[in-house]
Amino acid sequence: MTMIGFLILFPLVVAVILLAVRNNAARNVVVVAASLVIGLGSIWLVAVGLNGASPVYFEFSSPIVDGACTIVGIVVAITVICFGVKYKNYLAVVLAVIQLVGSLVFELNFAHGIEVSTPLYYDQLTLLMVFIIGIIGSAICVYALGYMEDFQAHEPEGALDRRPTFFALMFVFLSAMYVIVFSDHMTWLFTGWEVTTLCSFLLIAYTRTEEAIRNAFRQIVMNLLGGISFLIGLFACVLTMGTLSLSEFLLIGQVWPTVAVFAVTAFAFAGITKAAQMPFHTWLLGAMVAPTPTSALLHSSTMVKAGVFLLVKLAPVLALCPVPGGMLMFVGAVTFLVCSCLAITQSNAKRVLAYSTIANLGLITACAGVGTPEAVWAATFLILFHAIAKSLLFLCVGTAEHHIGSRDIEDMDLLFDRMPSLARFMILGIMCMFIAPFGMLISKWATLQSFTEVGNLALVLLLAFGSAATFMFWAKWMGKLSGIAGQSKNVELSVHTSEWIPIMLMAVLIGLGCVGLPLISINLVEPYLYSTFGELSFPISFDNLIISGVAVVLIIIVLFAGLGHSTARKVDVYLAGVSVDNNNRTFKNSLSGVTEATARNWYMKDWLGERRLDMFGTIACGAFIVILYVVAAFAAAGLF
Amino acid sequence: MQILITVVGCILFAVLAPVVGCLLAGLDRKISARMQGRVGPPLLQPYYDVRKLLEKDHVAVNSSEGVYIAFALVFAILAGGIFFTGGNLLMCIFVITLSSLLFIVAAYSSRSPYAEVGAERETMQVMAYEPMVLLMAVAFFLVTGSFNVSSAFDQQVPVFTSIWLVFLGFLFILTIKLRKSPFDLSYSHHAHQELVKGITTEMSGPTLAKVEIMHWCESVLFLGWVGMFFIWGNPISIVVAIVVALVAFFLEIWIDNNFARVKWQALMTSAWVVALVAGGVNIGILMYL
Repeated sequence: MTMIGFLILFPLVVAVILLAVRNNAARNVVVVAASLVIGLGSIWLVAVGLNGASPVYFEFSSPIVDGACTIVGIVVAITVICFGVKYKNYLAVVLAVIQLVGSLVFELNFAHGIEVSTPLYYDQLTLLMVFIIGIIGSAICVYALGYMEDFQAHEPEGALDRRPTFFALMFVFLSAMYVIVFSDHMTWLFTGWEVTTLCSFLLIAYTRTEEAIRNAFRQIVMNLLGGISFLIGLFACVLTMGTLSLSEFLLIGQVWPTVAVFAVTAFAFAGITKAAQMPFHTWLLGAMVAPTPTSALLHSSTMVKAGVFLLVKLAPVLALCPVPGGMLMFVGAVTFLVCSCLAITQSNAKRVLAYSTIANLGLITACAGVGTPEAVWAATFLILFHAIAKSLLFLCVGTAEHHIGSRDIEDMDLLFDRMPSLARFMILGIMCMFIAPFGMLISKWATLQSFTEVGNLALVLLLAFGSAATFMFWAKWMGKLSGIAGQSKNVELSVHTSEWIPIMLMAVLIGLGCVGLPLISINLVEPYLYSTFGELSFPISFDNLIISGVAVVLIIIVLFAGLGHSTARKVDVYLAGVSVDNNNRTFKNSLSGVTEATARNWYMKDWLGERRLDMFGTIACGAFIVILYVVAAFAAAGLF
Repeated sequence: MQILITVVGCILFAVLAPVVGCLLAGLDRKISARMQGRVGPPLLQPYYDVRKLLEKDHVAVNSSEGVYIAFALVFAILAGGIFFTGGNLLMCIFVITLSSLLFIVAAYSSRSPYAEVGAERETMQVMAYEPMVLLMAVAFFLVTGSFNVSSAFDQQVPVFTSIWLVFLGFLFILTIKLRKSPFDLSYSHHAHQELVKGITTEMSGPTLAKVEIMHWCESVLFLGWVGMFFIWGNPISIVVAIVVALVAFFLEIWIDNNFARVKWQALMTSAWVVALVAGGVNIGILMYL
């Protein structure tokens, strides 16, 4: 209980301190110390939680916290309204006003008499999220120190140094995430939800360029829609069940799914917007105008993970409600296929990562919609491994960008020579995302199995084709990185230590996570499934996990120690005809001039039809969501 | 226990598969020659070739290519070991995909224009055949109730009887997996101007020998997948499976000799359409009827 309070409040205190600190060295000390404290605190809580019984509910009653939630809600709405007026985005203003009025009406007239006796809790899923937020989230904050120093140096002369606000927002973000994962009181959860929306709005708008502002508003409009839907869900909860406790809501929902259907649909919609599923995927793509640590934070440990966390929590009810369950399955699986294909057409590394995030969130969303223990097993591991691998990749791309001056994959040619360590970390991250025996593929394996077992043809097909597309875009990126000419200058010597440490930490986590997967499954995921569903699920046999673990160790050893030590005699590559300079791949052409042989990756733009695909996904998912939402509303109306 | 069996299986596969694969490759060259009105090389020619490659100096364009290839071979053997000991079919599929990836990265690492073209095409080919392979595993699971290859022996009738459509779809992509014409885009036994030797352009000596041995192992594994469709709870079914696998191999040689190479768009589209129709219809029937 104290620890929970500490994890929520401590980052807020740090944020206030960081707002005041303008000195670089002092900030470094504060951020590193605070991250260490948060990280160790999270590990401690996870260790305690795993040893004791879970779930644990904490009885607690405080009108002060309720009042604070109301005030925070008002502050969030007013901030958005102020920004909306300043930048003349009236859609955002209107939505913020609706939400403000709605939440005030809700607090004063509906929620007033409803007490939640146990507003705070934790179970194994919470612990998993605590681990992700505490370790990965705070590691990204440390990484941001070095990155933002370079970032500020790249800014034009006399540019405003907004770093105090930036770091303060990062820590507020962590605090809000803790609120989301610890709250059983849904109004508190909603407050955390809205704070993450606002924080990411401010972080995306960080540079205040026209593009940043535009994308930030796109984010806020979409997430306010989700927020309003969340509020509608809260109204439905109070009106139909008279409770604001998430655990009670889930229990009632499992007994009387028809009563819960509308509220669950509303929450599912909120989850879809936050998890950037089609047609709301554009906000996450736009979010990459922000500095890279922001992207890393949004994609791996916070924001989008809040969306899928809620969906996975709802899974037991979703399994019984075909309307919201179907909505999530359809939207998630279509998003997975379409965004995996779209990732093939991109050459901007951050855009590829963004599409891949959306695609994987789609898979998690679809798993939550299926809602069987096996699917939830897969979803939890997808969340874990995606968080680790994606943050590793974002951190690597961010560092590469500052040292080679580009985030285009085409410019990462010869990175294996130019930044030997970084390229290896990046390759490890990429492999973890898409290839056996690494974690993401083991999770996808369980996903395929659960889709097959529930007998859903569409899901199986979308997954099979989507996985194939996934192979294409990761393999060609990995190929680009692995090129060796043996002549290039090493440019990674100037990478900050504060960047190396988080990168190495993520790499270690990948190794430990993949090898220790059976242990995580037995100690964390299985108990959660047992307490939630009352049954156990072992989608993948222990033997196969052992084989995978051994293979992972083998690959990591080869990647970091085995490559580049061969004693073979070196020769030049074959260029068909008279070579001029083999290292630059230049040869004499038919007019006796010198031509350089160049190779670009394959983007299949015409075959895939980027715009057509995007439009298909947006329209199909959008229409499906609207129809099912209306169906759920009618179903709810029919109850009265 | 299962792990021990897998380890022993891998060792046996590492010894036997190259022998069988080598004979198959020799047979391939013999039959192809006859189809083209030639006599062809001796049956053991592939073995002589590889032995000669192994004796050559170790020459490479960089210090990593050989390592990638060595591990591509290791994982191809692991995949074979898993399959032939009745292990998990999906695991086998994922491990052989890992092997393909290492092969692709080896070519990319050379940074030769021809190898890069070959590597990119190989990547595309993996994307083309992967859905059908995954759907094959799903269909197998729906019939036998398990992803374990050994469960085929628990059946009253071969799985082929209920998933013959998937089998036909698999035969189609088998041509891509064996890199036979019309789908030999990434690598060719015959020199093509735009490709030279494609993905293996920069591989020579012992490294190229390992690639050849890997191909032999792959051929045996894929023909094993063909045979799997014809296994049921009767030992005689193993003979049936071997015969069908050989017929399928002959069919692939015949296709190789009778069709001209297609463009990549045709390969991608046809492979995905075949997977969608054969896999989708067959799995739909299994799930809903």
